[in-house]
Amino acid sequence: MTLWEIKNKQSAMIDSLDATLVPAIGQRLNEMGFASGQLIQCLRRSPLKGPLVLQLGDCVYSLEQSIATRINITAA
Amino acid sequence: MKNIILVGKPNSGKSLLFNQLTGMRQKVANFPGVTVELKSGKFDQYQLVDFPGTYSLQSLSRDEELAIAKLHEAMHSDDTSLIVCNLDATRLERSLVFGLQVRDLAFQHNKGLIFALNMIDEVSRFGHHIDTEQLAQDLGCKVHALSAKTLLGLHEFRLALLDAAQHPQDFIPLKTEEASQPVLEISRKLSQQYGIKADVVLKRQNKIDDFLLNNVFGGLIFLVIMFLLFQSIFTWASPLMDGVEAIVGQLAALSSSVLPPGVVNDFVTDALFGGVGSFLVFVPQIMVLTLVIGLLEDTGYLARAALICHKPLSFFGLSGRSFIPYLSGHACAIPAIFAARTIESPRKRLITMMTIPLMSCSARLPVYALLIAVLVPETQYLGGLLNLQGITFFILYFIGILTALLVSTLLNKLTDMNTDQAEMPFILELPTYRLPHWKPLIHRVLTSAKQFIKRAAPVIFMVSVVIWFLGYFPQNGDLQSSYLAMLGHWIDPIFTPLGLDWRYGVAILVSFLAREVFVGALGTLFGIEGADENIAGLAANIQSDGLALGAGIGLMLFYVVALQCVATVATIKGETGSKKIAWGLFVGYGLLAYFLAFLAATFI
Repeated sequence: MTLWEIKNKQSAMIDSLDATLVPAIGQRLNEMGFASGQLIQCLRRSPLKGPLVLQLGDCVYSLEQSIATRINITAA
Repeated sequence: MKNIILVGKPNSGKSLLFNQLTGMRQKVANFPGVTVELKSGKFDQYQLVDFPGTYSLQSLSRDEELAIAKLHEAMHSDDTSLIVCNLDATRLERSLVFGLQVRDLAFQHNKGLIFALNMIDEVSRFGHHIDTEQLAQDLGCKVHALSAKTLLGLHEFRLALLDAAQHPQDFIPLKTEEASQPVLEISRKLSQQYGIKADVVLKRQNKIDDFLLNNVFGGLIFLVIMFLLFQSIFTWASPLMDGVEAIVGQLAALSSSVLPPGVVNDFVTDALFGGVGSFLVFVPQIMVLTLVIGLLEDTGYLARAALICHKPLSFFGLSGRSFIPYLSGHACAIPAIFAARTIESPRKRLITMMTIPLMSCSARLPVYALLIAVLVPETQYLGGLLNLQGITFFILYFIGILTALLVSTLLNKLTDMNTDQAEMPFILELPTYRLPHWKPLIHRVLTSAKQFIKRAAPVIFMVSVVIWFLGYFPQNGDLQSSYLAMLGHWIDPIFTPLGLDWRYGVAILVSFLAREVFVGALGTLFGIEGADENIAGLAANIQSDGLALGAGIGLMLFYVVALQCVATVATIKGETGSKKIAWGLFVGYGLLAYFLAFLAATFI
């Protein structure tokens, strides 16, 4: 499943970043901690398919749909 | 002078450290990527340069690209004696990703590097201890724990920095055994070993977010905050404005009683106090606006606002990150256009820059305030909590925002067909909530007032003097037969359809230099005409002179939309690299403004 399908308050493990991602964005996501094996938790989902709020390591990030659909996860 | 370079991840307390070291109050903001230009200040005999915060040496947005290019340049320069990398002790893993990249860069270029482990007070507050000695060994660089906020360890850091700058060659990073491993792995390992548990640090932040980002209350709170922001411009600033007005009035009365009656007396009273004085009255409003925006920025709320706005703004082809430039555009378009650099998507950045001039900047405040005082009664609701004038203000700002969104949609549709390049997505870090640091904030408020006066006063003074001369002569004080009247009657046909007479025409024309000139110019024009020497009541003067409601509303709309600011046109030209865009906007918004004013004057 992709990160976009994560439920509110659910935790998951990042599998991989989609190969269709622009390399620069893929690398940035990596540097921000979006790397395989990392635990991620959904803190909230915004209404109207707005950005997700996620806790990853020591940071809280907000990601929009177009990018969350390209991060593959396994629900924990 | 040798340079010491300060780098670090966004939101790592870097700017505050810079302020503490240099004593220069530079803008400290709790929003990723607010420092869009290099700031420098003196530190002992060195020049300390504050680099914009970046997550990585690989850039995504324009501001990061600039910062990284500058950093590479500095690495090659012989003037660079030392690099200071600021780490956020509460977010060790993320800080170290960038910190380790910088370490490798320093190693390559044989530059000295020191790590400042900032926000150590927060780590201690959670009862955690970081073994800096051991961490320094693992990093192969000196590490100094400190807190730029509570000043803990700052004195020692200052001394260490001075010492290191003397012989930077001893501070070139040592090759550690892990150095060959990927940066991401090392930082993960080190943060697990030394760092504080993320859940502990983020607990309070997430609790506040539960409330402020709540699906129901979050939007409501956002609207209330924005509404209060605009009300505050009127209600908090009004006692200060009355004070300034009273002082200017007293000075004018004093000078006119001291000076003998005649040309000189008329000049001082009408041109100096009437022209320049009537614009000084609005400085307090600009200060209050800067204060409120600064508060929101420093507490960390602006990042949440960007998140809340992302979805709504994306309907208009904008990003949540467009919110910050839009909001600061209400203070001044020029820094706002620079702030648009943080928007990753080049197309959204361009659209944001092109629509920022529609945000009602503080130069329009004097114009709105004057026209509202003329046209809108001081009715109060809910026991003085809301007043009709404040609400009108809100509506004017809202019309500006609405126009910007409509123009954005249009631009988005127009540029949609030729986008082969991938859109950069919206990724935003939500920083920790912090109490604002008062000293830099107050300094920033004072600077905003100083800069506003410095930028506008000379122009307003010149325009006031010229207008006064043209309006006073050749028949000492008879405006109807002055040079200005002749000139005004010549341009009259342009403004007649808007229901405005030649005096407004002249004031509008001169305000194309800078909008706030309008009030000064009108002040001078009505000052000359009014038989009494009272300059304080320009609004009252206009009221007794009579300004039709339709024409007045048209005039307000004209000022909402028209791009009457030479400096903004120049900035857009610089940032887009296109003369065509800059002057195209000038003409386009000018025509639209005229059309709206015409509609209002005709149909109201």
